[in-house]
Amino acid sequence: MAAVARGGLGEKASPQERGDPGGSPPRGQRRSYPVWRWAILLIAAVYFLIPLYSGLRFAGLKAFTNVFSQSGFISAIGLSLRLAVVTTILTLLLMVPTVVYVHLRLPQVRRIMEAITILPIVIPPIVLIIGVLKVAPGFLLSTPYLLALVYVILAMPFAYRSLDAGLRAFDLKTMVEASNSLGAGWPTTLWRVVLPNIRTAMLSATVLTVALVLGEYTMASLDLYQTFPVWIVNFEQSSGPISVAASLLALFVTWLLLMFIVVVGSRSARKRGGAELALFSVAPRQTSRTTGEPE
Amino acid sequence: MTANTARHAAAADGTRHEGREGGTSVLLQDLSRSFGTTRALDRLSLEIAPGELVALLGPSGCGKTTALRIVAGFESADTGSVLVDGKDISSVPAARRDMGMVFQSYSLFPNMSALDNVGFGLRMRKMGSADRRKKAGELLDMVGLSPQAKQFPHQLSGGQQQRVALARALAIEPRVLLLDEPLSALDAKVRLQLREQIRTLQQRLGTTTLFVTHDQEEALSMADRVGVMRNGKLEQIAAPDELYDHPATSFVAEFVGVMNRIPGELQSDRLVAVLGGLVPVQEGSDAAPGDVDVLVRPEGLRMELIQNGNGIVTNRTFLGSVTRVSVLLSGDVTVRVDKPSSEAAALPPGTSVAVSLPPEPVLVAPRRDVTP
Repeated sequence: MAAVARGGLGEKASPQERGDPGGSPPRGQRRSYPVWRWAILLIAAVYFLIPLYSGLRFAGLKAFTNVFSQSGFISAIGLSLRLAVVTTILTLLLMVPTVVYVHLRLPQVRRIMEAITILPIVIPPIVLIIGVLKVAPGFLLSTPYLLALVYVILAMPFAYRSLDAGLRAFDLKTMVEASNSLGAGWPTTLWRVVLPNIRTAMLSATVLTVALVLGEYTMASLDLYQTFPVWIVNFEQSSGPISVAASLLALFVTWLLLMFIVVVGSRSARKRGGAELALFSVAPRQTSRTTGEPE
Repeated sequence: MTANTARHAAAADGTRHEGREGGTSVLLQDLSRSFGTTRALDRLSLEIAPGELVALLGPSGCGKTTALRIVAGFESADTGSVLVDGKDISSVPAARRDMGMVFQSYSLFPNMSALDNVGFGLRMRKMGSADRRKKAGELLDMVGLSPQAKQFPHQLSGGQQQRVALARALAIEPRVLLLDEPLSALDAKVRLQLREQIRTLQQRLGTTTLFVTHDQEEALSMADRVGVMRNGKLEQIAAPDELYDHPATSFVAEFVGVMNRIPGELQSDRLVAVLGGLVPVQEGSDAAPGDVDVLVRPEGLRMELIQNGNGIVTNRTFLGSVTRVSVLLSGDVTVRVDKPSSEAAALPPGTSVAVSLPPEPVLVAPRRDVTP
């Protein structure tokens, strides 16, 4: 989860885009690269898959069928999904106009913004919760949606970087000016020009936010709300195998959800020549052909 | 697709895009604009007649783009005003100025097809879907891109994108067309084609146009008048031939076209001693009596093949019908002289020649140490 969007991706062009025939490595290196790649992939796979396999063996297949009938399961996963939706909406409503405004009008504060948005990672959870409790509106204090406010802060580093990378991948200033010169006001420009072109980045931010909310334990536990991760930990005390089965199931469902968003987002973006959706970055838009083209 | 075929294609289906009756005049009055300590515009005044294409030409940082952006409404002037048809539009936002703009970088909306891009401005003007598509189609036809109507920007070449951008800007029937170096990102061949197409369309539609460029060839070949800018000020604005033949200042003389600097001595009677003769000095020359440089174009110098002349041919550059001959004069001064290519064949490097000036007024400038 710590991986973030790679800044400056939008300025790089692939060897093919540069028309660089020498883009591929020399012959000798080319032979050695795949071996290393496979070795690293294998090590990573072993690192991730062995615990999953162990969990699968520990839980047994029967636990997977029993997990749905356990008390509190449906309400916990329902709460986590509702929080994911609310958090995503709040995050996008807050971050999209902010990042667009910073890119357009305050490019000099981009570095400061990057520093600010990284703070939720380094500030202890208890400090964040106390901070949110101090400023949260009264009607939210006794509802689990208070957690959404905390999650918005936690999602900020990932959402900001996704949106920032998305905006860097196209010429925002020129697009906005072109739209204005054609008679579009600000709301229209944002709705018809800016948002469609950062859809991939918004999807990326959504993916990261949803993944964060579905997996977050500390804040929910401190606030005494039984979200899905909290339910898993609590249930572990009465039935270890079912708790592990629920964890694995949640992992699989989350993975399916993320893949669905990635596939839908990428297909839509590819159709319009837009950026490819990767979970933690936005690849640059395909550059235009400028030379050697039949007119 | 050439300009001619585009015009014929448009004419064939009866497409008719006339400019507003009587056209639109633009007046820039005493515009000043500073960015921090940098003065981008310094009391710039400029009048553009209805239907006229004026090019602002100058080196990077001279203020030409700032002037254009102030007219477009993307920047505001510190002082001064912009009048369109006599009305001050300084406080009118860009979206309500009715000005079509083509940008230097590709500015098509990536999420829209070529047709939707062209129709965007019409949509903002609440035109119905059917009418909008029809008119956008006509505009695309006018720039010769009907077959590409459904393609997205990433599927178009750079030249095609700029043509769509031009169609998009013209679709709203703008009061003023603003061109911000629209050709600079294109390769030479496409640039030449699009240059002709823009000029043809602009003349046919009669749209008042302000064109910013740093490419003098573009400015001189397209504009009715060219304004040369330097340090936020307009040095001279004139028709291209006037600008070339009678530059008002040494900066204009050297910025537009190729210019030789030949050392001379300015006398108090407004005659200058140069290349062994005396020639009159042109009005506007800004030098005091004494050592000066005489500014002469390569085609303004005479050169004869002669034994023991005042120069030796050092190089020849074939430019088609003419050849530019480099001649080393005494005092380590090199001048460039244009000769018909048929005559230049007899002037190989090492040939002794006599270089002189016809008795016509010349421009002089304060002496500069480094000769070109």
